[in-house]
Parts: sequence; structure tokens; C-alpha cells
Amino acid sequence: MNKRLHPEIIRHFHNTPFSTPIIGITGGKGGVGKSTVAVNLAAAFVAQGKRVALVDADVDAPNDSLLLGIPLENPQPVTIMQPIFDSAQCTDCQKCVKACQMNSLFRPKEKSITLMGECNGCEACYLVCPAGAISQGSHSVGTLYKTKRGKLTLYTGALQPGLAESALIVNAVGDAAFADAELFDIILVDTAPGTHCNVIGALKGARHVLAVTEPTPLGSHDLELILSLLDMFSIQRSVVINRANLPGQKEKVEQAAQAASAAIAAEIKLDKDLLAGYLEGTPVVDLLPNSAAAEIFLKMTDYLTATYLSPHNQTQQEQQL
Amino acid sequence: MKEIVILSGKGGVGKSSLTAALAHLLTENGKYRLTLADTDVDAPNLHIVLGAEFDRSTGVTASNKAIIDYDKCSRCMNCVSACAFDSIIGTEEPVIISYSCEGCGVCSLVCPEEAVSVHPVENGQINFVTSGTVRVVAGALGIGESSSGRLVDIVKRQARQEASLSGCDLLLTDGPPGIGCPVIAALKGADYAILVSEPTPSALSDLQRITEVVQGFKIPAGAVLNRSDMDPQSAQTTRDWLTGNELPLLGEIPYDPYLPQALARGNLGVKMYPDAPSSLAIKKLHKVVEGLLE
Ligand code: SF4
Ligand code: SF4
Ligand code: SF4
Ligand code: SF4
Repeated sequence: MNKRLHPEIIRHFHNTPFSTPIIGITGGKGGVGKSTVAVNLAAAFVAQGKRVALVDADVDAPNDSLLLGIPLENPQPVTIMQPIFDSAQCTDCQKCVKACQMNSLFRPKEKSITLMGECNGCEACYLVCPAGAISQGSHSVGTLYKTKRGKLTLYTGALQPGLAESALIVNAVGDAAFADAELFDIILVDTAPGTHCNVIGALKGARHVLAVTEPTPLGSHDLELILSLLDMFSIQRSVVINRANLPGQKEKVEQAAQAASAAIAAEIKLDKDLLAGYLEGTPVVDLLPNSAAAEIFLKMTDYLTATYLSPHNQTQQEQQL
Repeated sequence: MKEIVILSGKGGVGKSSLTAALAHLLTENGKYRLTLADTDVDAPNLHIVLGAEFDRSTGVTASNKAIIDYDKCSRCMNCVSACAFDSIIGTEEPVIISYSCEGCGVCSLVCPEEAVSVHPVENGQINFVTSGTVRVVAGALGIGESSSGRLVDIVKRQARQEASLSGCDLLLTDGPPGIGCPVIAALKGADYAILVSEPTPSALSDLQRITEVVQGFKIPAGAVLNRSDMDPQSAQTTRDWLTGNELPLLGEIPYDPYLPQALARGNLGVKMYPDAPSSLAIKKLHKVVEGLLE
């Protein structure tokens, strides 16, 4: 199943129409501290005077705003096409019913095409209708938010509970941030858990991805999966070990990282300062800037700045691709 | 046979560990027979928590993808602009980004050369695991693949079949994270939903979102507060919210350093340290779950 990707797909993945570097934060599974890393890195970049876009692409459970303690603003609906049927025009040919791969269209009685199931807005029905009986309505599948606090702008999307369109929301949130890309020094993207297409969608254009994990059997297992996904797309990556002081199996995580030639970018200990920031809804970098935990994030930003934010390295990177 | 599904709105609150511990306690002394379904197809790891290895797997085709026949293609690029999901790219010739293709078939509708067709493709696996007397049916989505909802559907169907063939009393489902399509697939047909949370503001927000989904399907539900002693104030906020929304609190499990130690050894806390505070709390919860089975 792990087939080779077409080089064009990899090129397309890395191609962005702007030069602002994108750094992704991901992890094979939820609960390993991805969002904690993301908000603290954002806070650390801001502390160093950078203009930061933080994209929360975990649209099923977006929590970055809570961790930052900033309420979401500027809600905007994310809509998709939804067909509207005009029975006066309909000739009852039922081509639309056949064309819908989602099996969402039914014809209960003569000239009464009804949308019953889920519709992904693909427009197949609209395209095949020979009678012009279908018009393009729109339907909201979620909400997009853009919240500004000083040098930090948070882009968040929230899926309407129960819908399947998370991919559309992920793209919408990314696009919103990308449209403003020139306003920022760096774009940080916090992805959903897992190794599915939404994670890839969220990481589009990422120069570097931090894979957050923890030293447990689950952590090393999920890390292996996410690292092989990043490998498929030839994405630069490194590993962040969260709760590094858990009585677990750090060696296994280190082995997985080494096997994928990913460096260990940082080890974050489970400590009360970090937890306090978490519960209080303030990144530890802001709450206790002199704490050991804050120190780690500030160091990570130094490294990322040196590698990705200096003009010299940028051109080098582009030449490589 | 009853069906109970364990959900959390987001991963990392200890759902799989709790599922495994409950399964162990319920089947102890042969009291109940049960089948487990691991529907976290993006990161299935119930088998790791149980310390069991996969013993059999089959490929699953739960996804349709467009495929181009380049011998027929005239490079007109009609398909590139027609795809509503931006899943066809290319400058010289069209290339389908299969991981984001929804299989909707619009590209084949607009192709003047009949060069594109939509085919079912293998996008995951179903793994079968045995741990003691418990059978686990686990779905695993291929890396970078889509359509986890349909895969979850298949896993549930398989698990249900497995459970009824072997005369089980209970099908216990470890749900996927989130609130989207896979969660709904996991929830379908359930008699009861156990919602796992922990005392933090983020976890409460996740709990609220998942509750909305569960109540939308009118499935009775109760909550479990894991690591309940982590923050007394947040714990109280969660309890109050539960009361206000008429969700029973089925149990509270304190944070317990023994748990990660057991996990690191590929064993269950309730088995290795039966008298640890978390084990005692899970045993209490297990009585409540038994009540649901009566
Ligand atoms: S394709 Fe158009 S004309 Fe034919 S049944 Fe559908 S809506 Fe009616
Ligand atoms: S837009 Fe696509 S999914 Fe929606 S009803 Fe039409 S054919 Fe079906
Ligand atoms: S089947 Fe639909 S989603 Fe897939 S490439 Fe064709 S138009 Fe795009
Ligand atoms: S529409 Fe058909 S012929 Fe035209 S580029 Fe696409 S596949 Fe080729």
C-alpha cells in the first residue's frame, strides 16, 4: 500500500507561492502534547519579536485557542456546493442519481430528486443534468476563525459535529493563513492526529516538521508511522519527545528517530510549570518565561530561526527542491 | 448482545487503556464473553495496550480513486479544473493526487477521451488479534490514505459478525478521536456511549463537542473522568457541566504512576497492580458497566 508517489505530487506538495517558512507540528496520535508544543513555539517566536501565524488544523478538536487563552473571533462559514433541484425543469432522466458516487440522491416519486445522504459538493450531478434542472446552492460544513493578538494570529477551523468534510475545513484554514503569508515571519501548523490525508493536507508546503511523541510503546509505534509518512513526501523532520521523564521506553523512540534519520530536536519533561500553563490557558513561555520548560521552547525557536528564517538558507532550500 | 462504544472527542485521555482494562475485568472468570473493535483506524493500538500481536489480517478496499489511462489521454487538462477537491495537478499531463481523491468521478465526466475511470482501491487492513479470551477486530488505514469512515463501517460490521458468531454478550468499541465521519460510523448501532474526559479546559471542550454528536444520535451516554485529581478546579467544572447536561458520571479514575509503568511493560495496570488506586477505581467503574449489561 505504501506506494511511491509521483514526483509531480511531491513537487506540488512543497510548492508555495510565498517565501514565509512553514513549520509543521504533528504526532502519530492525539494527547502526546502536539498542541502544547505548537502554542509554546508560537509564544516563543513572538517573544523573540517575530510575526507568527499559528494554524490549528485539528478541525475535529481545535484546542489551540484554549491553550493560548484567546477566545475565537471573526467566524466565517466554510461552504461547499449543494445541489438544488427544480422539478419544473426536471425530465426525470435520473442521470444525477447515477452520477452521485456518494449515493446521496433518491427519487421517491416522479420528478422529485431529493438529497438524502451526505453531499461532498463534487458537482457531478450538476454536470450531468441535461435539463438544467440543478442549480448550485451552498451549504455550510464548518467555521473558520481568525484571531489576532499582537504579533500572533491564530487561524482555526471547526468542523460541524457529525460531518465528514474535515478535509475541506483543513484546506480552508490553511488557505486563509497562506493568503496572509507575507504578513508573517513564520507559519506554524498544528495538525490532527494520525497519518491520514488530512495530516498531509495540513502539512502542505512545510519546510520542517516536528513529530511530537512520548516514550511509551504507543508513542514509538505511532512515531514510526508518522515518520514514514513524512518520508513519503520527503519532508525534513525532527522528533520532540514529550514527557521524556516518563518511566517508559525512550530507547525505542530514539531508535525510530534514528531509523528515519530524524534528529531529536528537544526533550520536554513532564513538569508542574508546563502543566500550570496548560491548565491556566497561558503558554508556559509567557506564564513563566524563566522556567526550564520555557527555556526548551526558546531554544527550539533559535534553532528554527537559524535554519529557516535567514535569507541565505531560504534560497538554498529552494534550490534543493 | 449489547454494544457499547468508548469515545473522547480527542485522543490521549486514556481511552484505549480504559477499554482494555474494562475488557479484562469483564471477561475475568468467564463472566462475560466479549469482542473488542478498535475503530481508531488512524492509529490503532489497542493491541499494544493489551500486549497482544496481530494474528491475521486482510486488505480492505474502502475507497474509490480515479485512475488515468495515459494512452488515451490527450492532455487537454479539462479534468484538472473540474476536480472540486484540487486532486488533479500537472503542467504537461494530469497527475491524480490519489490520497486526496474522493472518487467522485467528475474527472471522468468531463474527459473527452474517456481516459479516466474510478476504481475501488485497497486503502487499509483489518487485523484480528486474540488476547486471552478476548477477540479484537482492528482497522488500520494505510499511511496517507483517506476514507477512514468507510473503513470504520467495515470494522464494525466484521466485529459484530465475529461477536454474534461466538455468542458474545458485548461488543465493546474503542472509538476514533474527533467528531467527524469515523466517529459516527463507530457510534452507529451502539446501545450506550462512554465518554472519557480529563480535568482540563481542552478536554472539557472536546467532551462538549462529542456530547453534541452522541445526543444528536439519541444514544444514552455517561462520562468517565480520567486523571481526576490532576486539577481539582477543572474537575469540578467538568462535574458541574455533566450535571447541567444530565450526563451521569460513571466513575473517576485518579492519576496513577503505576499505569505508564504497566503500559511500558506491555501489560495492564489492573492486572499488574490490582491494588493501585487507578485499578481500584476501574474495578468500581467495571461494576457500573456490568449494570449497563443487565
Ligand atoms: S439529471 Fe436533471 S433532469 Fe435528470 S433526473 Fe436529475 S435533475 Fe432531473
Ligand atoms: S454534488 Fe456530488 S455528492 Fe453532492 S449530490 Fe451532487 S453528485 Fe452527489
Ligand atoms: S474522482 Fe473526483 S476527486 Fe478524484 S480526481 Fe476525479 S474529480 Fe477529483
Ligand atoms: S480530461 Fe481526459 S484527456 Fe483531458 S487531460 Fe484529463 S484525462 Fe487527459
